[in-house]
Amino acid sequence: MIEFPRETQHTIPTSHVKIIGLGGAGANMLDRVALDGLDGAEILALNADVRTLNGSVASERIQLGRNLTKGLGCGGDPELGKNVTLEAETEIRMSIKGRKIVFLCVGLGGGTGSGGAPMVCRIAREEDAFVVVFATMPFVFEGERRRQQAQTSLNELAVLSNALVVFDNNRMGELVVAKQGIHEAFQAGDKMIADSIKAVIRLVTRPGLIHVGLDELMTALRTTRSRCLFGSGVANGKDRAAKALANALASPLLDKGALLRETASLLVHICGGADLTLYEVELLMQKLTKQVPEKAHVLFGAAIDESMHDQLSITLISSLPEEKLQEKPQAPAVEEKPILEPTEGFGFDQEAAESVIAPLPEPMPVLSNFSFDIAPAVAATQEVAREEKPSASSLPEAVPAIPASKSAFADPIAPVEAVEPKIASPFAEPLAAAPTSALPADFTSLIPPKPATTLPAPKLAGSIPPPKNALPSSAPAAATPSPAAAAAAEIRQATPGRKPIFGAARAASTAPQDSPAEESTEAEASEARSTEESAVPAVSKMLEKTRAKHLQEELLLEKEQLGRFAGTDPTIEDGDNLDIPPFLRKKKK
Amino acid sequence: MPRAKIHVGLEIGTSKVCMLVGEVKVDGSVKILGIGTAKSAGVRKGEISDYVKVRACVEDARRKAEESSDVQIGSVFLSITGNHLVGVNSTGTYRLPEREKQIHAGYLKEAEKIARGIHLTDEQVIVHQSPRLYRVDGFEHTAPPVGLFGKTIESDYHMVYGLGTRIQNSIKCVRELSMEVDDVVFAPIAAAQYALYRDEKESGVLLIDIGGGTTDYVLYLNGAIAASGCIALGGEHVTNDIHMITELQFTRAETLKIREGHASGESSHDVGGIKIPVDESGFTHQDVKRELLNAIIRERMLEILNLIKKRLPAGALERVGSGVILSGGSSAMRGLDQLVKEVFGLSVNLSTRLEISGVQANFQDPQYITCLGLIRYAQYLEIEKRRTSSPFTKFWPFGRKS
Repeated sequence: MIEFPRETQHTIPTSHVKIIGLGGAGANMLDRVALDGLDGAEILALNADVRTLNGSVASERIQLGRNLTKGLGCGGDPELGKNVTLEAETEIRMSIKGRKIVFLCVGLGGGTGSGGAPMVCRIAREEDAFVVVFATMPFVFEGERRRQQAQTSLNELAVLSNALVVFDNNRMGELVVAKQGIHEAFQAGDKMIADSIKAVIRLVTRPGLIHVGLDELMTALRTTRSRCLFGSGVANGKDRAAKALANALASPLLDKGALLRETASLLVHICGGADLTLYEVELLMQKLTKQVPEKAHVLFGAAIDESMHDQLSITLISSLPEEKLQEKPQAPAVEEKPILEPTEGFGFDQEAAESVIAPLPEPMPVLSNFSFDIAPAVAATQEVAREEKPSASSLPEAVPAIPASKSAFADPIAPVEAVEPKIASPFAEPLAAAPTSALPADFTSLIPPKPATTLPAPKLAGSIPPPKNALPSSAPAAATPSPAAAAAAEIRQATPGRKPIFGAARAASTAPQDSPAEESTEAEASEARSTEESAVPAVSKMLEKTRAKHLQEELLLEKEQLGRFAGTDPTIEDGDNLDIPPFLRKKKK
Repeated sequence: MPRAKIHVGLEIGTSKVCMLVGEVKVDGSVKILGIGTAKSAGVRKGEISDYVKVRACVEDARRKAEESSDVQIGSVFLSITGNHLVGVNSTGTYRLPEREKQIHAGYLKEAEKIARGIHLTDEQVIVHQSPRLYRVDGFEHTAPPVGLFGKTIESDYHMVYGLGTRIQNSIKCVRELSMEVDDVVFAPIAAAQYALYRDEKESGVLLIDIGGGTTDYVLYLNGAIAASGCIALGGEHVTNDIHMITELQFTRAETLKIREGHASGESSHDVGGIKIPVDESGFTHQDVKRELLNAIIRERMLEILNLIKKRLPAGALERVGSGVILSGGSSAMRGLDQLVKEVFGLSVNLSTRLEISGVQANFQDPQYITCLGLIRYAQYLEIEKRRTSSPFTKFWPFGRKS
């Protein structure tokens, strides 16, 4: 086999990135970025105030206004800020030369920041760099004057920069608890900016499986005079996809995800270690798409970064015009349909495949092959199936029945990969074949309904649960083969089309005395639910057995004695849950 | 001309929903016309958790109240409680413009506006604001210093704020039963209107209303509210504690608490055990040691009282002259007065006032105090309105009920 080496680095190396902190606030942000560790990127501090400049951890520092202010700050005068920056123009130009991306961190409202930022921005643009400006707006209590200075500067930056990300300091209060100190609030604010800088850098510099770059970033931040919606979350361990998304949406800049409902375009970047599965990505995107409007342009990127280890990070970047921020959406959130249809259901296939692989060694090579080379896999599975059938079953019609059923089983995955239905078919095949090989007696219950499905099942009809349901049926059906088969036969007569498989499988799996009609309607109902949800009740008994221990342990860990107050809003005082009897709490101590 | 007005007080409590119809006569006396109570369901810790159930309970209470009073209830005064309600003191300082020497009402308004500027999140709203004290150039005035001469006015206010959405939900619940809400009142403030005398308020008094799901308190010093608040612990917690430790069923735990519980911690009450025989509900015979039962109750009550003590402003207890007044259903707990005395070091009174005409015996129970207080609150509000309103608005039928 000829291996085609994937081009690993078709993006900008970090050495082409420069992060500039301008003024006092900019220096703080810069320090945060530097302290949190950022490999490769160059950091440049610009300030007129020598004391602050010397305190900076930046590797490169340029003093502004050597002659004009002589080491002092600009004293809140933007005009002076502009002049001192122009004085050091050559130095700045030299420093920026050749850099592809320049991040400019600045706190607007003061002298150096407000006055200098447009100048630095212009210089960087003249040097052909892509300029992303991170600016903070002053607090309301800082007064109207500073607000105006900041606004003027912001207007200039909006025109000059490629992308402008604005953080309003007034929202800083949401980052920390009211009780926490002011330094912590500022720290949290700086950290958030540092996080977003790093996320943007990661986004544009790391090679991506599904690459997003500056063009996508620009699309996401396209609207001028807008506020950047930014959220970033990292999580590891079980359910890390959901946790990471929850963390990202918890960002105050997103207003707990509420602001995303207004957005027109959203950039999503998912980064994980080598063990990042498609299932996780799919799950995450499914959840996320519920948060954004249907028409929104979702720019999706994914990357594998070995240094992430078992972590998964998600970065959301979007922007919202300022006028929309004023009139906050009052209408109740409409449940949005997932946009990314193409990937729907894929994750579950994978899981199902894994579950089959685990207990059954025989079809395993077939399955593992399948995801990469489709054609041989199809042949192989068919072979396997045919080989097994005569040995396993005494029913002669079993042989034609299986290929027929294939089409029915193939359909579930058809919406996923409508172009290549064959992908799905081998997939479903082992599922049917697997229990057969394991439990021959099951054939009586599985096969009879299948001829009924020879007519091509409608696209919608197929969903992932059927094959899954077929799986659990094996165990109980083996125990009571004859009533199960009878039930299955009944259903076949009663309901045409695809449903029989479903109903029969369920009827066989649960108990023979269950009314088949009820079962099939129940099956329909469960099918109507989202694939994600339906997967849970449909989990096979075999799967349950393997997972049972794990689940129970977790439940026990979380259980707390609360009596009738279990599940209510806890009353917490000094870290004690007061709903627990004090009598018990005292004894514990 | 003032005429007799009918007011209705509604309290949606954790254990019961109570609606009380009272008539405020021309001479200012209050007559209770009727009462409707219903066992509460769907209320947790003083807040509505099951909307549908609560609505049914309120509906039930309203029907009973209408039947007994023969009044069609159109609007109510609603008492609210819950952990989200917080009482704070805030001071607004206003310096008069240069040439101005005399204080007029506009300046007081300005000072009030400054006092109102407490830091609230978007969801929080101010429910009450009551003036505590005015200072004119450092000199204290209890009445509004309008017309006096001075340079700076300081207005101390006691503010109660809470989550607007939760309060709105309570109001919505009432509105859906085609009743209007005249006003929402923080439960302990309502209770204080009835349970406390003016001289008690002047000399300083602490009112503790121990209900089913919450314990509310309000502290009066120098005739004004100095602190108020709500702790989301109450009688239901005691029952739950008994249930969890003795593994008695809820109903039995509740009965045991009411019949046998004793909170004082005196060893004389801890002797022996209680036999709970097999009853019609089919539960088996159970034995509970008194010592254990009393210890469970005592620990919980002690915790509640200590929490209140902790939340009161520093040095406030020394200035309380009239002791502690207990109200609410759980204040009927035996030995609680001794426990309160132990914790606060103040004399304790159970609130039983007989100032209201009607069927007296019914309203001596401390669990109706909040509702009675609501009627009183309505009365005060009306007096206030009449005093400040123009002659034209006098005819506005505020508090129309029939």
